[in-house]
Amino acid sequence: MENTDWLDVAASVKGDDEAYARLVRRYEKQITSLLWRFTRDPVQCEELVQQVFVEAFFSLKTYRGDAPLLHWLRRIATRTGYRFWREKAKEPQEMPLPDFEIIEQIEAAEDDRIDPSEAAAVLHTLLARLPAPDRLVLTLLYFERCGTHEIAERMGWSRAKVKTQALRARRKMKEIAEREHLLERLGWTL
Amino acid sequence: MDTLRGLAKLARIAREEQTPVFGVAEMVRLRIQSEGRPSVTLIPLGLFGGLSAAAASILLFMAVQFWQYINSPFMQLVAPLPEIRLW
Repeated sequence: MENTDWLDVAASVKGDDEAYARLVRRYEKQITSLLWRFTRDPVQCEELVQQVFVEAFFSLKTYRGDAPLLHWLRRIATRTGYRFWREKAKEPQEMPLPDFEIIEQIEAAEDDRIDPSEAAAVLHTLLARLPAPDRLVLTLLYFERCGTHEIAERMGWSRAKVKTQALRARRKMKEIAEREHLLERLGWTL
Repeated sequence: MDTLRGLAKLARIAREEQTPVFGVAEMVRLRIQSEGRPSVTLIPLGLFGGLSAAAASILLFMAVQFWQYINSPFMQLVAPLPEIRLW
């Protein structure tokens, strides 16, 4: 752990508000970036980011410092995001098909000229059609470039479970993408 | 192109997306302050526990008193028997 983190963690545990505010400011960008993969609604995303840092504060005494603080925060954030999906899944909702019109906008564009934000929105919409565990594994694989070991560690799952989940999720995702003629619409068939 | 490779390519582009920045430090501090106060639900719970303990003590005291009032509790069960004329 970086020395500055260690000093701020120790001060935060003793009740130094400013020390914890420094930690929040230091890692907010990375945590926001991760949670943006769980919801693209800025209001919901901000709420989740706050939730993560509040939860982290109250668990700070349990942080042993074996891994960098950012890893520990990412684990809390991943679980918070996953919980958010599961709660959302209880509400009957269907991802509206018109969202796929975004694809039409980038259809004719060259690969490098595709707006990353639009590409992320398309991928997010496709992933949203999967059940939460499949969606989580693929989100972390595609967006965060996590390995199966890291996903297992973040979620407290076995590595075998992550591997099986990833295999199954990829198969489902392939089916969805083919049903939506994704590659044809992106002009990537060749 | 294979569908899965297409998805991986889409993901590669998507990773370059600029994510929003919120500046949550102040809100987090406020939430910690409000959530960190001693929970009010513990006060009625403690009060209820205390009252229950007091009531149990009174009952125990009374039970002991009643028990002592009976000279020989088990003898009371067989006490009428000697008075019965068996022959």
